Amino acid sequence: MRKIFKTGTPYVWLTGGTLTISLLMIIGLIILIMVKGLGMFWPHKLVQYTLQDGAIVLGEFSKKEPIPHQKDSYRTKLKVGNRDVYGIDFRWIDNAGIVSQEYPKTALTIERREWGNMYGFLKGMRQDNGIKPMELAEIEPLLSESQILYKRIRHIEKREIGKINHKMEKYRLELKRLMMQQPSANTEKKITSIKVKMDELEKSYSKKVDMLTSLYTVAKEKEVVISLVDGSEKILPVFQIIRIYNPNEMGIYEKSCFYVMKFWKFVSEEPREANTEGGIFPAIFGTVMMVLIMSIAVVPLGVITAIYLREYTRDNIIARLVRISVNNLAGVPSIVFGVFGLGFFIYFVGGGIDKIFYQDALPTSTFGTGGILWASLTLALLTVPVVVVATEEGISSVPTSLKEASCALGATKFETLWRVILPQATPGILTGMILAMARAAGEVAPLMITGVVKLAPSLPLDGYFPFIHLERKFMHLGFHIYDVGFQSPNIEAALPMVYTTTLVLLLTVLVLNLAAIIVRNKLRKRYAISSL
Amino acid sequence: MKTLKKKRVIDRAAHWSITFGGAAVIFVILALFVFIFLEVFPLLKGTKVLKKSTYSLDEKAVAVGVDEYQEIAYAVYDDGMVDFISLLDDKLIKRHNIKDVNRLAITSVCKDNDLIVMGTDDGRVLAINIDFAVSFENDERIITPEISDEEVVLIDDRGKCIKHITSKNGEAVTVTAVYTEDGRLILKSTEIEENLFGGGAKNETITDITDLVKQPPSDKTTEQIKKIQITSLAIDLFMENLYAGTSHGEVFHINVRNRVNPFLREKVKVSDESVTALGFLLGDVSLVVGDQKGGVNVWMQARDELTSEWSFKKIHTLKSHSAGIVSIASSLRNKGFVTVATDGTIHLNHATSEQTLLNVKSKAMPTSLAFSPKANGILVADSAGNLTHWSISNPHPETTLKTLFGKVWYEGYEKPEYVWQSTGGTDDFEPKFSLLPLIFGTIKGTVYAMILAVPIAILAALYTSQFLNKSLKMVKPVIELMAALPSVILGFLAGLWLAPLMERIFPALVVMPFFMILSIAAAFCLWKCIPKRMQTKYRNGTEVLLLIPFIILAIYGSIHVGDLFESLAFGGDYRQWFLDVMDLPYDQRNAIVVGFAMGFAVIPIIYTISEDAMSNVPGSLISASTALGAVPWQTAVRIVVPAASPAIFSAVMIGFGRAVGETMIVLMATGNTPIMDWNFFNGFRTLAANIAVEIPEAPFGGTLYRVLFLAALILFVTTFIVNTLAELIRQRMRKRFSRL
Repeated sequence: MRKIFKTGTPYVWLTGGTLTISLLMIIGLIILIMVKGLGMFWPHKLVQYTLQDGAIVLGEFSKKEPIPHQKDSYRTKLKVGNRDVYGIDFRWIDNAGIVSQEYPKTALTIERREWGNMYGFLKGMRQDNGIKPMELAEIEPLLSESQILYKRIRHIEKREIGKINHKMEKYRLELKRLMMQQPSANTEKKITSIKVKMDELEKSYSKKVDMLTSLYTVAKEKEVVISLVDGSEKILPVFQIIRIYNPNEMGIYEKSCFYVMKFWKFVSEEPREANTEGGIFPAIFGTVMMVLIMSIAVVPLGVITAIYLREYTRDNIIARLVRISVNNLAGVPSIVFGVFGLGFFIYFVGGGIDKIFYQDALPTSTFGTGGILWASLTLALLTVPVVVVATEEGISSVPTSLKEASCALGATKFETLWRVILPQATPGILTGMILAMARAAGEVAPLMITGVVKLAPSLPLDGYFPFIHLERKFMHLGFHIYDVGFQSPNIEAALPMVYTTTLVLLLTVLVLNLAAIIVRNKLRKRYAISSL
Repeated sequence: MKTLKKKRVIDRAAHWSITFGGAAVIFVILALFVFIFLEVFPLLKGTKVLKKSTYSLDEKAVAVGVDEYQEIAYAVYDDGMVDFISLLDDKLIKRHNIKDVNRLAITSVCKDNDLIVMGTDDGRVLAINIDFAVSFENDERIITPEISDEEVVLIDDRGKCIKHITSKNGEAVTVTAVYTEDGRLILKSTEIEENLFGGGAKNETITDITDLVKQPPSDKTTEQIKKIQITSLAIDLFMENLYAGTSHGEVFHINVRNRVNPFLREKVKVSDESVTALGFLLGDVSLVVGDQKGGVNVWMQARDELTSEWSFKKIHTLKSHSAGIVSIASSLRNKGFVTVATDGTIHLNHATSEQTLLNVKSKAMPTSLAFSPKANGILVADSAGNLTHWSISNPHPETTLKTLFGKVWYEGYEKPEYVWQSTGGTDDFEPKFSLLPLIFGTIKGTVYAMILAVPIAILAALYTSQFLNKSLKMVKPVIELMAALPSVILGFLAGLWLAPLMERIFPALVVMPFFMILSIAAAFCLWKCIPKRMQTKYRNGTEVLLLIPFIILAIYGSIHVGDLFESLAFGGDYRQWFLDVMDLPYDQRNAIVVGFAMGFAVIPIIYTISEDAMSNVPGSLISASTALGAVPWQTAVRIVVPAASPAIFSAVMIGFGRAVGETMIVLMATGNTPIMDWNFFNGFRTLAANIAVEIPEAPFGGTLYRVLFLAALILFVTTFIVNTLAELIRQRMRKRFSRL
């Protein structure tokens, strides 16, 4: 036995064990997020339990777990939905109390614009003199009708009224500016003309509002009656229904189609109900845009630093200082960058810009408050080291023979750099950029204080001049996870959504990292050949 | 020729711009430091006098005051005249005669917000109300002083001179206490009870409470008792506690909640000298006591830790004046106050930070004092008829090194403590800016993370660099991918998945390490048991794959054994057990959860750097060791690890730096309570998480804002030192290896 220990093999196994644990941790984590995140859109069967006390419950099976400190007894968590009726989305049921269980064929899952899912049975259409029975298929045309109506209402609310508000704000500022000037005949004239224009806008605004009211009355006209499992009936305006389906009757193919459709809706739609339902499109859009603006800022700085370190300096004190600085930029906590961004970019630079260019909008800050530009610049500082390291690797892998050949042909140092080194090092720069993007996409702490919000009223990119609104606040995937997971009022119901958002963020980061690895390997291969 | 010149110019330009651009990174790091420091710096800056101006009054003023913009001051003379003086151009704006004074001298004054209550030498108590109305005309601020006489509050039936007075005016209740020339202490309260018709029925009570302060002490003769004079009075805004300072250095605390039957709560010796002035701080919880020798102390009702009895305790001592205190004026903004002494010295103090911020002097003996409503100006009238106005800048009185890092006795606490509580529900809240609980939390979180991460990361790195089969090289990028995982994902999983899970299976978690070691041992034995022929089939360095099922089995097994273990070791309920036996209450989001999540974030960092270092140990060293007959394990432990140890150390340091600054994981996986407790079952708040939580609500330029910048500066400097050291160590090691 002692001999065996002397060979050290058991210790090797032990160290191997730690590596296995690390591997299992990362793989387990990815699998966990995959499983939890991918399950959200699968149409779950609706199960109906008859309980000992005679009550009947209907809902989606959520999970089953042993009751703590009781042997061989289990309880089931059931998503019973109908939040407007029951007050809660989930219900724990003792398995011992379940008499029978079945999957009713006609049970329906109804996704609503408000109050979460409803589970029940379609009774019919509500009419003046009673209820007219109807089939599930008959409701489809009504749904598409109400979808068109919904789009129309959204269009008026967002686009048309938004446009009026935008113009109104412009006139208001102009008026304020004119008022501050010395009164003269000219300004008087201008003021009256603006006032006339504002009156017109006011009129068209009230017209739009009237239109909306009439549209909403139309929307409320058609109602269906849903009978709940406990025997009560609920009247539901068709307009409230987003989707209605019958999960117990769906085949695998139908479910798959449904799954793909739901996933698409998730990434392409706007959130509803305080971010706990609907999609995450604004968060994805905000993340992408922030990352792009950041790359524009970080790549030049990082690349120049790397060139300096590799080509323009020997091992002198400045070079060493630069290296220490780069290392420190990588090591300083991200929240410190956030604090710097808040103090320097937002209050100092942004406040200064406001004072000079947006005087008339004060005291409402334009650039003097968090926004996508400041968040991007803050992250750009944070990700400089990533670009520097990768670019350095790219430059150092350019064979010396190439550089010497260029110099021998009479090229200046800059020409060699521009024409030979940089093109050859492009994959390295690209790697750095991708890695920086991955880092920025996942970073949340500095963004929280430099311009991310839980719900941005408008995207930083739209149809009004100057189209890109760098001062606007934006939404971000990582912050979305934090916000919905930790600050929403109904965390339990929102949890699947958070997992799915996590999955999207994880995939983004993983894909970016894999892309960086692939690009880097290409770089290595290229020089493996060229150095032959 | 021309193109050659042009080329040279371009080349030069490129050279300089690239050098400059490269150096820009140094500027960035410098800018980070300098800018954050500049935001912190004002915390350390003292109070400054912006402007001192002197005005002359007609005579001696008994009360002065100023509006919140410090444009108009008023002075009340002892003959019942009130003058309003513009501080901008030294002009008399308005003069008012208090009715009913009849040229009789005002002998005592008490200010209660806008109300000035005065006692006269014929035993009457009068009140006036002074208000400054602010209006805007053409964007210009116009301040109009308004003064009105209130009803006569009290007429002493014996008509004796009123020497001291204190009064508080509430919505429906007014309580006034006066001390007369002939040594009587009289309490008067007026309550207005609204009746159905909207009118008010007045309910007045007048009580003579002289006996309460004349209770004979055991060691004093009646002769001495007679000599005891009340020298100052103060009543709090709850109209419950009346304090009376005496010529023997005592303070009587009289509970006047029951207006008809007040009783003496306590008598405390506060000084060897006569008490000359009493004044409440904002919030009327702490009482400033000034004495004949110039001593200034802050007292408060505090609960005793052991007996939980309330008693009057000294909580702060301020710098003494060299002469008796004349008057105390407290700020309406913070826990600051001004004291003046008979020799004309004026101190601006702050109770919480126990510092005297400003020390100025008036020309003659001061008679009355006012602290401007925004706490940015002091107004003093002296016996020579001068009115002196100091306009001051006093942005951060509450922060000193002691309040930031030391124990402070805050209002309402039993003893001095380290507390972080930056905002409260009320205006009179005392901000508590001790960074120590946050620093403690940061260290606690880091320690728990490192306990998990360091062994796993270093052992895994050792294995990867020395024993792992070359065909499994993809393992390293997989672990590096761990570093790319956004911390918000780790935090989310830790807070919403791991924390509830751990609460369920904590006992299983306790046995898990043993099970893992057992399963590794089992795997090793199994492997030894199979024939040698089969062994060679599996190449060396694939243990990591063979172990996967065993480790999974260990996890699975420990979860199943968890319940059994719980009933054996913890008597069926581990939470109850820890609470009963070790007095540790269980929080769902606790330090162990954070340790796991943050350890997860730190492992790849330590792993990557130390793996790099161990694989870069020169092959010659390893070959020499092997040639001398060492087995691979001996080579690894005796040669590779010592050679790479500086880099491993620097890897641990860099991991430490990462854990110190980690924000999202801590924010999401702990309860964020700033407590100082090593208990692994409760949460904590770190510097980084604290910044993230509080800075969005911190007003720009305020004390909280700057203190949070200080927290950032501490993080920055800590990580800067750690990273720079780590980098220097690595550079040295690289050089040493390159020589080998």
